[in-house]
Amino acid sequence: MKIKAQISMVMNLDKCLGCHTCSIPCKQVWTNRQGAEYMWLNNVETKPGIGYPKKWENQEIHKGGWLGNDKDLRLRSGGRLKKFAGIFHNPDLPRIDDYYEPWTYDYELLVSSPAGQRQPTARPKSSITGRHIEIDWGPNWEDDLAGANETALDDVNFSGLEKEVYLKFKDVFMFYLPRICEHCLNPACVASCPSGALYKRDEDGIVLVDQERCRGWRYCVSGCPYKKVYFNWAKGRSEKCVFCYPRIESGLPTLCAHSCVGRIRYIGVILYDADKIKPAASTSNDQEVYKAHLEIMLNPHDADVVFEARAQGIPETFLIAAQKSPVYKLAVEWGLAFPPHPEFRTLPMVWYVPPLSPLIAGWEGSETDIAKSDFMRIPFKYLANLLSAGEETPIRFALKRLMALRKWMRSLRVDHKPNYQTLDEAGITGPMADEMYRILAIAKHDDRFVIPTTKRADSENMYNDRGTLGFPTKS
Amino acid sequence: MGSLFQKLAFQVFPYIALTVFVVGHGYRYYADFYQWNSRSSELIDRDSLKVGITMFHWGIIFTFFGHFFGLLTPQDFLNKLGITSEIHEFVALYTGMLFGTMAFVGLLILLKRRLLKPRVHAASSTNDVIVLILLVFVVFVGTYNSYVKRFDVLYTIAPWIRGIVTLTPDQSLMNPVPWSYKIHILLALTLLGFSPFTRLVHIWSIPVTYFLRPYISFRRRFVDIP
Ligand code: HEM
Ligand code: SF4
Ligand code: SF4
Repeated sequence: MKIKAQISMVMNLDKCLGCHTCSIPCKQVWTNRQGAEYMWLNNVETKPGIGYPKKWENQEIHKGGWLGNDKDLRLRSGGRLKKFAGIFHNPDLPRIDDYYEPWTYDYELLVSSPAGQRQPTARPKSSITGRHIEIDWGPNWEDDLAGANETALDDVNFSGLEKEVYLKFKDVFMFYLPRICEHCLNPACVASCPSGALYKRDEDGIVLVDQERCRGWRYCVSGCPYKKVYFNWAKGRSEKCVFCYPRIESGLPTLCAHSCVGRIRYIGVILYDADKIKPAASTSNDQEVYKAHLEIMLNPHDADVVFEARAQGIPETFLIAAQKSPVYKLAVEWGLAFPPHPEFRTLPMVWYVPPLSPLIAGWEGSETDIAKSDFMRIPFKYLANLLSAGEETPIRFALKRLMALRKWMRSLRVDHKPNYQTLDEAGITGPMADEMYRILAIAKHDDRFVIPTTKRADSENMYNDRGTLGFPTKS
Repeated sequence: MGSLFQKLAFQVFPYIALTVFVVGHGYRYYADFYQWNSRSSELIDRDSLKVGITMFHWGIIFTFFGHFFGLLTPQDFLNKLGITSEIHEFVALYTGMLFGTMAFVGLLILLKRRLLKPRVHAASSTNDVIVLILLVFVVFVGTYNSYVKRFDVLYTIAPWIRGIVTLTPDQSLMNPVPWSYKIHILLALTLLGFSPFTRLVHIWSIPVTYFLRPYISFRRRFVDIP
């Protein structure tokens, strides 16, 4: 058993407002530079839709992630030799138009135009060429289903569903999907980098691009199945979400999580067994990868695990944080959160609690047993395709628990008659219900974020070091 | 003997170029490692890149190896292996024609793209364009020589180059060499000296270690966590 600690996140999609507040501080701190204008290390997509970059989930096109068959685990885009021989032109690299051509406006004209008959206008112009452009795609083009009747036909999560039906106005559904880098346990970006510039930090699992060693071979960009490594076109280097590591090291949440208006984001430590990564990732049945992923995660309350972790040098602060981790509770103890597209086999570590949704239009039956019928607007199959490789059982189980919790609270607060039956049916105990309510509904800062500080052995004077971390801005 | 020009060009200049090449790379590596890369423009214009970049690179890489082994290996040694100077010349000329043409056509496509594709043009530095133009000249003259001039280099240029490498330069060997060859050499030396200050530094970062390392790399940020 090789124990490692991972800083990970859960996002509760049930509460995301789609306000994009998370994207703003991230943009302002990390990507407000030339060459990075088009990068949204945190972006919020409306589902159904093809997202940013276009069709990122479709690996037939983008060739990201891994293929596995119990014995063997290979990069979908090909092994070392193929990459080496084709290094001059990476056929799987997205085009910038798949994200969007970054643009700004002729704001200057608004104040400098001479007086005239008409209002001056600020035409859009490309941030790359400086020429005027027509805008026909952008970072959030499908916001609130805009144009989804056409684009969402290509959403892979409709597989096994009659997508045309769900894109009719009467039956349409939607929810938001905020996305950051998954800081995977088996990161395909790291594996794809010929120079070894990408790495996973041993102490907290954050995946970074070493800006000094990136030679711009751009295989990480195509290797990541979530398309969360971006290529800086002005500098010729790759950049990605850094999980706000300078903040994390000081015990502060990431900017996206800290600013989240819906308070949907949780950050905590997970202990896992690094020896089991390869077997788990190569599980041949797509639908079993999620289970294998869960099994890698170690129970931080287990005395053997704690003993072994101490012996292997996991700091005490990390152990304590792991025991109080909201991520562990949501993902493992309560079974409420799921990894996006586990079939990509990178073992992602930013998980999602699936959203509840209203009854479907014209629902006649009184049957609202989740195990038996599909009465919610968002088809369970759709959520399962997104979060558990199409296997509906765990998703239904999680939604059942979320519903039970609501019914339970209503019975307490509105009816003043505690309805124990609903809790029993969902396998929730009284104390568990209290804690779930506290963490999911109240979601105080300290319950959402349990982050150990990292001891900075190399820093003599922190004051002098300020502003030195992150992406190099000059040269 | 030879003129002053000849001495400067084939006895002094090669060492200046080589010194700048070595010191320049060292300087670049330590002073400017954030820019030590190929400045890929694939993201902003992928479709126009494929043919040109592939032809150019395979062409130039084989040409590079051809020059390296063809010129640095003494003919006497090859004779012992049974490779006569006729065979040597034959191989050198025809591979030179093939790969030189590949590289040249590739370069023209790349240059056209760099100047005419608006996004690529906007993202280019003057330096990027100069490198391409210099390469066009070097490759053009070299390939022209292999098609048209076909001068016997084995007992002239080749020993001169070996003399440079072994620090026993003898510029008189260059006396009978035609001007088109001399121009090729001088342009190539200029490119060599200029290369540390361009995107060409990417050549020395061929990622061979990819074959040796495990797929997933871990690194510690803080070495001594107590
Ligand atoms: C030895 C292994 C080499 C590798 C792995 C390599 C790789 C690359 C890569 C990945 C690019 C970027 C293509 C893009 O995405 O825009 C590139 C561009 C370039 N390489 Fe190389 N290269 C090698 C050798 C060379 C050599 C020997 C030369 C010339 C002497 C050369 C000259 C160039 C030039 C001029 C460009 C820019 C082309 C343009 O205008 O876009 N490379 N190379
Ligand atoms: S999600 Fe992040 S860690 Fe995972 S493969 Fe993509 S860039 Fe790498
Ligand atoms: S800030 Fe929070 S609620 Fe708003 S879009 Fe981002 S994740 Fe959703």
